[in-house]
Amino acid sequence: MFFFALSGCEKYLDQNPDMRAEINTVDKVKRLVTDAYPGHNYLAMMETYSDNVEDKGVGNLDEPLRSLYFWEDIDDDDTNTPTAYWNNCYAAIAAANHALQAIEELPELGDEVLPYKGEALLARAYAHFMLVNLFAKVYEIGGANDSPGIPYVTEPETVVIKEYDRGTVASVYDQIRRDLEEGLPLLADGVWEVPKYHFTPASANAFASRFYLFTGEWEKVVSSANAIFAGGSFVGKIRPYNSTFRELSYEETRIRYSKADQEFNLLINETYSTYARFTGSRYAMGVDIFQNVYNGRTAAGAPFYNFGLSYGPPHYTTYIWREHFHVTNAAANIGFPMLMVPVLTTDEVLLNRAEAYVELGNYPAAIADLDLMASNRINNYNPNTHAVTLAKSKEHFDVTTDKEALLETVLEFKRLAFITEGLRWLDIIRKGLTVTHNVIDDQGAETFVELTPNDPRRVFQIPQSADLSNVESNPR
Amino acid sequence: MNNFLFDKRRIHPWKPPIVLICRIMKITAFLLLVFITCAYAEGNAQKVTLSLKNAKLEDAFKQISAQTGYKFLYSDEVVRRSSRVNARFEKADLHEVLNDLLPNDGFSFKIIAETVSVTHKEEKREPSAVVEYVQNRITGTIKNREGEPLIGASILVKGTSVGATTNAEGEFSIAAGGGATLVVRYVGYGTKEVAVDNRTVVAIVLDADDKTLEAVDVVATGYQVLDRKFFTGASTKVDAKEAERFGVPDVSRMLEGQAAGVSVQNVSGTFGAAPKIRVRGATSITGDNKPLWVIDGVILDDAVNISNEALSTGDANTLLGSSVAGLNPDDIESFTVLKDAAATALYGARAMNGVVVVTTKRGRNTDGAVNINYSGNYSTYIKPNYNQFDIMNSAEQMSLLIDMENMGYLNHSGVSRSATGGVFHKMYNLMYEYDENTDTFGLRNDAPSRYDFLRRYANANTDWFDLLFQSHLIHDHSLSVSSGTAKSQTYISTSFMNDKGYVMGNEAKRFTANIRNNFTITNKLRGEILINGNIRDQMAPGTLDRASDPVYGNYSRDFDINPYSYALNTSRIITPYNEDGSYEYFVREYAPFNILNELENNYMRLKVMDIKVQGGLRYDITPDLKYSVDGMYRYYNSEQQHTMTEYSNAAEAYRANQDQTINGANRFLYSDPDYPNTDNFVVLPNGGFFNTRNNNMIHYYVRNNLEYSKQFGDHSLQGFATLEITHGDRQSHDFTGPGMEFDNGNLVMPSYRFYKRILESGNAPFGMRYTYDRQVGAAFRGAYNYQEKYSLNFTTRFDGSNRMGRSKTARWLPTWNVSGAWDVDRENFFNADNGIVSNLRLRSTYGLTANMGNASNAIAVFYNELTYRPYEDEREGKISISGLENSELTWEKMYEWNLGTDIGFLNNRLDLHVDYYKRNIFDLIGSVRTSGIGGQFTKLANFADMKGKGMDIELGGYPIRNPNGLTWRTSVTAGYNETEITKLDVNSNIWNLVRAEGGAVLGGPHRGLYSLNFERLHEERGYPMFTGSDGTPGTTYFWLQDDEIDFLKYEGQIDPKVMGGFFNRFEYKNFALSFLLKYSFGNVVRLQPSYSAQYSDLYNVSKDMINRWIYQGDERLVVIPSMLDGYAAEYQVYDDEGVRNSATYTYNAYNYSSERVAKGDYIRLSQVTLGYSLPGRLLERTRIRSAGLTLVGNNLFLLYADKKLNGVDPEFYSNGGVALPVPRQFTLSLKLGF
Repeated sequence: MFFFALSGCEKYLDQNPDMRAEINTVDKVKRLVTDAYPGHNYLAMMETYSDNVEDKGVGNLDEPLRSLYFWEDIDDDDTNTPTAYWNNCYAAIAAANHALQAIEELPELGDEVLPYKGEALLARAYAHFMLVNLFAKVYEIGGANDSPGIPYVTEPETVVIKEYDRGTVASVYDQIRRDLEEGLPLLADGVWEVPKYHFTPASANAFASRFYLFTGEWEKVVSSANAIFAGGSFVGKIRPYNSTFRELSYEETRIRYSKADQEFNLLINETYSTYARFTGSRYAMGVDIFQNVYNGRTAAGAPFYNFGLSYGPPHYTTYIWREHFHVTNAAANIGFPMLMVPVLTTDEVLLNRAEAYVELGNYPAAIADLDLMASNRINNYNPNTHAVTLAKSKEHFDVTTDKEALLETVLEFKRLAFITEGLRWLDIIRKGLTVTHNVIDDQGAETFVELTPNDPRRVFQIPQSADLSNVESNPR
Repeated sequence: MNNFLFDKRRIHPWKPPIVLICRIMKITAFLLLVFITCAYAEGNAQKVTLSLKNAKLEDAFKQISAQTGYKFLYSDEVVRRSSRVNARFEKADLHEVLNDLLPNDGFSFKIIAETVSVTHKEEKREPSAVVEYVQNRITGTIKNREGEPLIGASILVKGTSVGATTNAEGEFSIAAGGGATLVVRYVGYGTKEVAVDNRTVVAIVLDADDKTLEAVDVVATGYQVLDRKFFTGASTKVDAKEAERFGVPDVSRMLEGQAAGVSVQNVSGTFGAAPKIRVRGATSITGDNKPLWVIDGVILDDAVNISNEALSTGDANTLLGSSVAGLNPDDIESFTVLKDAAATALYGARAMNGVVVVTTKRGRNTDGAVNINYSGNYSTYIKPNYNQFDIMNSAEQMSLLIDMENMGYLNHSGVSRSATGGVFHKMYNLMYEYDENTDTFGLRNDAPSRYDFLRRYANANTDWFDLLFQSHLIHDHSLSVSSGTAKSQTYISTSFMNDKGYVMGNEAKRFTANIRNNFTITNKLRGEILINGNIRDQMAPGTLDRASDPVYGNYSRDFDINPYSYALNTSRIITPYNEDGSYEYFVREYAPFNILNELENNYMRLKVMDIKVQGGLRYDITPDLKYSVDGMYRYYNSEQQHTMTEYSNAAEAYRANQDQTINGANRFLYSDPDYPNTDNFVVLPNGGFFNTRNNNMIHYYVRNNLEYSKQFGDHSLQGFATLEITHGDRQSHDFTGPGMEFDNGNLVMPSYRFYKRILESGNAPFGMRYTYDRQVGAAFRGAYNYQEKYSLNFTTRFDGSNRMGRSKTARWLPTWNVSGAWDVDRENFFNADNGIVSNLRLRSTYGLTANMGNASNAIAVFYNELTYRPYEDEREGKISISGLENSELTWEKMYEWNLGTDIGFLNNRLDLHVDYYKRNIFDLIGSVRTSGIGGQFTKLANFADMKGKGMDIELGGYPIRNPNGLTWRTSVTAGYNETEITKLDVNSNIWNLVRAEGGAVLGGPHRGLYSLNFERLHEERGYPMFTGSDGTPGTTYFWLQDDEIDFLKYEGQIDPKVMGGFFNRFEYKNFALSFLLKYSFGNVVRLQPSYSAQYSDLYNVSKDMINRWIYQGDERLVVIPSMLDGYAAEYQVYDDEGVRNSATYTYNAYNYSSERVAKGDYIRLSQVTLGYSLPGRLLERTRIRSAGLTLVGNNLFLLYADKKLNGVDPEFYSNGGVALPVPRQFTLSLKLGF
């Protein structure tokens, strides 16, 4: 009798203990998917691994920049570390999986929920894509890709410690493709309050263009890029460096850089990061990179205009990052440092398309795209002197073939367009480039260390804690 | 009751009709209560089981008294005339037993209000025979202090054989001359001589000489009041009279040193801040280790739950953490601490940390007479002084600062624009104050002028303790009225406490009211109503919550103005007043700061109202079967008002915008994204802040009980079943109010930018939260006793709670317990007349108890949030995952085995209780690190096991007891407790282990303190060096979040291993002297983190700094690290491998090194009292029934403590905020009875 009565009281105990949410309406699914994006970023890890940084001999020994510069494994899981990015990508994936589970369990949500199902699938694909490229060997076009991938998680975790399997790079790519291609068509009717923070058809296509660039499906790169704007034209859609930006103050430009109302931003992630505070780091942009790369002459014949400035040499910054301090206690003024990171932009898609055109042999189209980039970046752009041409590129890079020259141009433009944005690292692994870092010792003598294409350190180490789930580390 | 079950927020459309069933159950129970009043049985339900052989009648009475709780009153005559008795009764009616027991020749008895008075009939005739011959006839009454008539007391005219006895009303009449003296005697009361003084009516009051007759051996478990023979658990009863802490208004402190195994650690002495109480040590690593408080049978929940760690943070919320602080100590009758699993079994899954059962006073049958009691305490605090602490005086500190200046610190550019600054800051700025009229500067920039300027401060020697501490009079008054008849007894009390504060800015007032009525409707139906209310009005210095910075390894609290911390930390060169007597300001957060001004302008007001109504009904269905119902309703409301006026530093800091440097550096200024090309804006151009935070709670509790007891020959059986429901809704809301001009009629002039900034930062200027607490529980207890020798007890309970979320499996938990006792002294082989051991009992128990733990992720937990985006038009609501589903989540559980014995020595003059226990604690909840692949890299899970063992020893009694001479009451308690973590799925990081609160490590105690191992000072620069995480010597940098912790040095446990008290009271005639020593051993404490590479011109430093490393070679002699010059601090700190790091890390590491640990052992003289009660003959002609005066010294001094503590209280965590150490105080206490 007692126990009968107790079971009757199940209902009584169903009251939630606090103000927790339950995922039971389309709006709540949508809100949950809003959280399916990585809450930390890759800026420090990708940028400092790349060739966009140098040892200045002086400066702050900020961690994790120092360790990253020497391609050391980092145990720390604090902000800007590979482990923080790993954790946060998987947190995003968990939100996507919970949303997908809710959609599956609540058929009454109907078709109205489908765009957000699509968004969840895209978000899941994106986070896994970033993880597999950073923590596993890069996808080799036409290769077996049978080296270990990263765990592809498709359902919410319900036990404390669950075992995961890394699969292979190929299997992870297959799953990314499945989610991407299933999710993209569902996005069509989505309505978002702030679309730029979500996978919309535009940002999903931008992501697709990046994905197919890695898999070498050049036609798909072009078709994805073309699907973003009607007619596939990027004219007036990319970062207006030498026009609007030039007329604005530094501070105003910085704000626009990551603002949702700018057409060149396709997907912005809100991330916890102190990256913008590393203005005096020893291992960052110094005189050499600033003068010879950032302000260096490009294949188009002139340097790209930029906002690079110095907080006192030899420390230089691109001055594009604006930290937003999210205050959690107004009176005490404590809170979280946040960085809004445009992770997918029209500039990147344009250059993805240019590269695909090159690979497809459509050099005029490629040159047109590259020229569009140059005409937006070079100060006082003059088509006569600044247009991208095969001849100038060949000479600039000292190469003989047209294809090589244009590919180099794409890579150079991309490097300059996204300096301090980390994207250079993706090209380095994709194209198998060697990275050289200088090292200045106590006496000021300079030596060099290299990261060659087959160096195992090119793959970020899987976080130590992953062995709890029986996920093996990368070889060292 | 129905609406407890009705849930508006249900989402599932259909469920089986179980709600209805549940409701029907309740209605049935109610009807049962209402209608089953038909059965009626004559007589008293008190049952007695006796087995006596050739026993004294007196002993028989004692046994009956023990079983029934009835008091026996009888005169010497009765004892003298009675013969030895033989009897054997099993569950016999009391009347029947008494009829049989008393000899037929002239004995009679009467039962009135649970008092059996036995008289010898012949006595009555004697006086009347005398009366006829005597002219002078005196009548009168004899009563006890409580105003109860003493029946059968004997009165003798001194020097004659003329005597009389009182009747059932306590009245007598006797023949005696006007100058005669009456000698009044009554068993259990002192003998008293009263001069007739020509009076014809004499009212005599007798004092009970001890409590032997009243000390009915029962145990209050909160659910039942049990005869000890059925109670087989470990418990300690603390009588409020003995534990009384005059002048200490918080009742939880009354348990200090009184019960073995109960430790009371005063982590803060501020009124309302709960002490850290542990019963038999800790049982949980992350959960609450607080015992459950049960007031008059009902659990008293804390309205604001303060976790283990939060207790010592000093955050404002800690003042709300203790609901018990609302109780008036004067209303308390006794405490019973339930310690082992058998004792707490009925509380099931809430009682793993022990239970403190508080019984408050109730009315008595005074036959309508009114008893009024007043008690008042008048206390004063003693200010601390610098002799207690090891702090540099101003001259010493100035010389240290000059040293620093010589090293290149405290130069103009480094100091003049710093956020916080003292004397040097002032000096440099004064040099630039140009007066056009006189063409001079505030201070000439040459050495003599500077020397002159600094000399004033070097000689200041400011006594901050004297300035900031106060010795106001604290007074509390308590008035109670009790009165009763056989049918209804009432106790009403009210109290008022006014504490003007130990330190400036602190003040507390408390009002309490308490009404308790017990009533009898019919012989079978009795009831009780309690109404309890308290109001608190408290002031505290304004404080914000503490923030932890694990990177550098420190805690920070903005605008901390805790006067104790300030006095302890502020340099004595800082002066509070200018030479002209006005406040002198230094700089904090770029704004002017003076502590006295700040305490006046930045304060918190705390208002609490707590009302509780409780009722109960008992109905005897049959003499063996009883039904009862108890219910409680509680309404709690508290409000914190934090005022920072426009003159406070906290508000001024928002306006500090003197120049471009400060505009860029002041973090309280706002960079408006809509105006990217301008300077930062002031968001609080006018006024200060008025911030409020409210916490309220509505709490219901209902329980139905069924109790059965029956005797079958040698066997007696008891059964008890209960079904209870708890329903608590808590709400909290807060509001940030900027721009209030307090000096201008509270005009509100906020700037829109303040809100814009809040909104852009994803925050809100106000918020509101609910939490819901739903619990159901059903328990059954069965007890069996054979021949009063062997007892067996079985208890089980089934608990359900909503705390773990909507998981059907995790929310339920059954617990159980078996226990037994053997009364060896009842055995035939036990020689009761051995003269030494008079009583011997063995007990043992084994069972499972549990605790809910701090996790609610049995299913995935989501919360609504706002995205953290910078621009208002880009913000969205989002739902984030707070916890992934942990389908394996379960309650924290514990198996406990207890072996105990109770021994009475020397005719029970001394009692010894010894309990040994072993605990196996498992499924402890904590944060577990995962691979992160599931989406959450630290999860709450049942991750640890722990084992514990310990021993509680209590020895107490009356070694000397002479009603006319010396009485000595003594009690020694000792509790030993040890824990070891046997399983831990995750290791803490360095920071969690080295900080003052300590952490958990496999193989270590529940909470251990670990240190970075200090090796030596660097031979060239004198900075400290440590053993590195991989064992390499000479390390200077640690990443404190590293979970590589094997290299840390274990210092000891945070909680004491042994603690207890030693209480003594000596009474001689009207004087009483008592003292309480409290001791604690076996723990370590982390010293305040006070070392750094450089020191400021604002904060004081320890005298130890005189012994710092200064010259090369000192590293062989001293362990205090050097001061480093600015260049060295940044560029010359290298470890032995030659890797350089900033000195900040190195010096912080020193603060958490093996050098900065002290032993927490102490012996404290907690209380000394000297009391005098006015002799009865002085009071006889007044309306005053009794009067007593007590002089008390509280928390007088530490008889022993580690010298390394430098005078800081080892119990106290100095974390700023609202935390204060327990003050030393003297109290005068007055008690009057009318």
